[in-house]
Amino acid sequence: MSDVTDETLTYSLPVDSRKVRLKWLMTALVAVGAVYVLSDAMSNYWLRTFISAAALAIGSLSVSVLFAQLGMVSLAQFALLGVGGWFALRVSHGLGVPFELAILAGGVAAAAFGLVVGLPALRMRGLYLAIITLMMAGAIQVLISAFGFPDGGAGILGKSTGARVMMARPFLAQTDEAYFRYVAVVLVLCYGLVLLHVRGRPGRAWAMIRRSEVCALAGGVHIVAYKVWAFALAGFLAGVAGGLLAGGVGQLDGSAFPASQSIMLFALTIVGGAYSWMGPLIAGLMLRAFPALLNDFHVDGNIATIVFGAGLLHALMTAPKGIAGQLQDAAKALRAKFPGKPGAAR
Amino acid sequence: MPDFMPFFVSGLATASTYVLSAVGIVVLYRASGVVNFSQGALGALAAFISWSIVERGGPEPVAWLAGVLVSTSLAFLYGRALAPRLAFSDPVMRAVATLGVALILLGVMGYVWGELPRRLRLPTDTMSFELIGVRVTATRAIAFALAVLSTVAVMAFLAGSRLGLQMRALANNRDLSALLGVPVLRADGYAWIISGALAGVSGILLADLQRLSGQTLTFAVIPAISAAVIGRFSSLPATVAGGVAIGVCEALLTPVPVVGPFRTAVPFVFSVVALLWMQRKSTFVYR
Amino acid sequence: MIEIEDLTVMFGGVRGLNALTATLPEPVTGLVGPNGAGKTTLINVLSGFVRPTIGTVKIDGENLGGIALHKRAAFGIRRTFQNEQVVENLTAGGNVTAVLDNVPTDRRPRRDLIEAALGFVGMIPKLHVMGADLNAYERRLVEIARATVGRPRLVMMDEPGAGLSQDESEHLRSVIKGIHGYCGAQVLLVDHDVDLISATCVATLVLDFGSRIAYGPTTAVLADPRVRAAYLGVAEESA
Repeated sequence: MSDVTDETLTYSLPVDSRKVRLKWLMTALVAVGAVYVLSDAMSNYWLRTFISAAALAIGSLSVSVLFAQLGMVSLAQFALLGVGGWFALRVSHGLGVPFELAILAGGVAAAAFGLVVGLPALRMRGLYLAIITLMMAGAIQVLISAFGFPDGGAGILGKSTGARVMMARPFLAQTDEAYFRYVAVVLVLCYGLVLLHVRGRPGRAWAMIRRSEVCALAGGVHIVAYKVWAFALAGFLAGVAGGLLAGGVGQLDGSAFPASQSIMLFALTIVGGAYSWMGPLIAGLMLRAFPALLNDFHVDGNIATIVFGAGLLHALMTAPKGIAGQLQDAAKALRAKFPGKPGAAR
Repeated sequence: MPDFMPFFVSGLATASTYVLSAVGIVVLYRASGVVNFSQGALGALAAFISWSIVERGGPEPVAWLAGVLVSTSLAFLYGRALAPRLAFSDPVMRAVATLGVALILLGVMGYVWGELPRRLRLPTDTMSFELIGVRVTATRAIAFALAVLSTVAVMAFLAGSRLGLQMRALANNRDLSALLGVPVLRADGYAWIISGALAGVSGILLADLQRLSGQTLTFAVIPAISAAVIGRFSSLPATVAGGVAIGVCEALLTPVPVVGPFRTAVPFVFSVVALLWMQRKSTFVYR
Repeated sequence: MIEIEDLTVMFGGVRGLNALTATLPEPVTGLVGPNGAGKTTLINVLSGFVRPTIGTVKIDGENLGGIALHKRAAFGIRRTFQNEQVVENLTAGGNVTAVLDNVPTDRRPRRDLIEAALGFVGMIPKLHVMGADLNAYERRLVEIARATVGRPRLVMMDEPGAGLSQDESEHLRSVIKGIHGYCGAQVLLVDHDVDLISATCVATLVLDFGSRIAYGPTTAVLADPRVRAAYLGVAEESA
């Protein structure tokens, strides 16, 4: 498996260099400004689209954590989004808790769900994990379409027979514009959570495991335990994303979580670039904004599926680092053409 | 207490399609190392093409042949032209690439035919006979017979023929086989052909037995792969046993009151049990 | 102190180790033998990667049999590999930290321990250099640094001397000789380079066909006719 050189695995996050900090600070300020300006400038339809795209970016982040850190392929993350959304809705409608607690509940539930189901495969070859997660996605698809999503009713399933209740928005973010900013903040927090992991103890253990099982064991790493940790983190992120989706639209549709969406989420994460922080953002945009764009031009949504499938094949054949990787390579090439100060940050 | 016999019979028929598909998956994996996640999608396309030809008034045998031909050629094309170009040689990523194919096929089928409720009708649907008090349609009997025949044929082929020997060599050690002069690409190509043909036949039958839907047929790859997992991707008899068990279990659970909707978790449950069984003596292999 | 008692390892029908018994008390011990003698198998048993069929191994009086694989590093069993296993997308410091996460630190600040380890092998300037940017010898040294953090008891080295230049070889020798003084750990050195073994190892254990054929002070062992016969064969008496 060491055919893939570890060069591709550098999770491109800030390197130890003072000069990077300034650049990142500026990028962050620009991003914050953009979010504020955009949220007021967009039409309602596009606002909703970008809210979903941001939530799905968190979903894509969950895929990329598993893939970039441990080479694990999970084809169930979108389904876990559904599980998280279900629990967030149930807790919110049933217990009336604040929005934040509801999405936390969704995250924890999805993490637990994913773990229970993925654990048998975590000890085995990666191929089996991919297969098991695909089956999990299929099973969850049927469960969700059979049981639907809670919408204010009583009973375990929480389905109401009368009027459907929308999920209560967070106290701080009742309007669509405010909610978009809210989701953007949660997105940043999720990235922060991942960064904490990658730069800390789990990240180092994951890097050892990725190098080889032998390296990890000789270094004292409990391989299964750290794989479980990664899987739980990914499940949590997916669940949170599901809760955010539910809050965005107010309710979730039982037919919106087919297994094909989990495959597409994985595919787009690869296409966007699983090894870079930009990848999940690109993936989220593609998963929501691209079909919305096609809709605007009255093009069949199936075209999106075809494009995504072709994109995956193309990425695997020619550009394993995805769009983000190609952007970074282009940036590197540009910097090489204009050599700035020696020791300029990557 | 519902009468389980009709469910058992229909379960056996769907199980036969799973077996056909699973045998294709295992043969391909053994020869080329690729788990073909698009097996179901190829079958779905074969079914749609058959249906379209019949809709336009074409003769049925031509329709079926055309369908199987399309799935076979697409599989072969992918295997010869695209699969070798993958930057990753890791089995997981090569399997993931076939997901890309599945997505493309799903999109094409959705675009051209859409998800209207349809049924593929075969002439054998109307013929039937009695067997231990249950009415068995000829289609179901044929599905079962085809599954048995093709498994036996594939096993005989792998064990007896020169090409089969070459495929087994490939499965064992690809690089070494190449060094020994085994025509790797040729053997590989034939594996894709066999796999694609089985996918087509399986798809057409399943489209008749269940429904002609791109989504459903594409994800029928899940029970097929589950059967392959039970066979550890190497043993054809175990794969067949697994496929039959899954199909029959799924069907038998249909009339059961509470558990009914959960029956689609059957392939998943079987796979998990198989995996746990495989791990029972956890040995760490130092490479 | 390494105590090996009647150690037998079967790989199917092949005896990887055959009733091996040896007590190794010296600070640096060599482990030599022709290819297939069982040297790597012995090290794998100590690492826990291979389970012995019969027999026990004790380190400082404690039986290794009961210690889980991932806990052996914390117990004090460390190892460098023939194919170096440095993590490329961590820095040299990161590599050492990764092991430090799992071994006893005696409440000393981590930064001190990392700098001490890298300082011992002479890699302080490369503290923030990514593993991918280190050359082959530097990676070997980082592996040794990883092996000497956090109370090691036994550092096993599998052919560390392969492919080194003259200067690198000399530096390696001084590092190997210094390990015991630096962290108190025993060193078990497997290599084909007789000069390296002679220069660093006080005593040497010679294996052939999974059994011990000689153990003792290095010079004496290497001159032993039985050892020479194992490597070079015996001259046939003409009829």
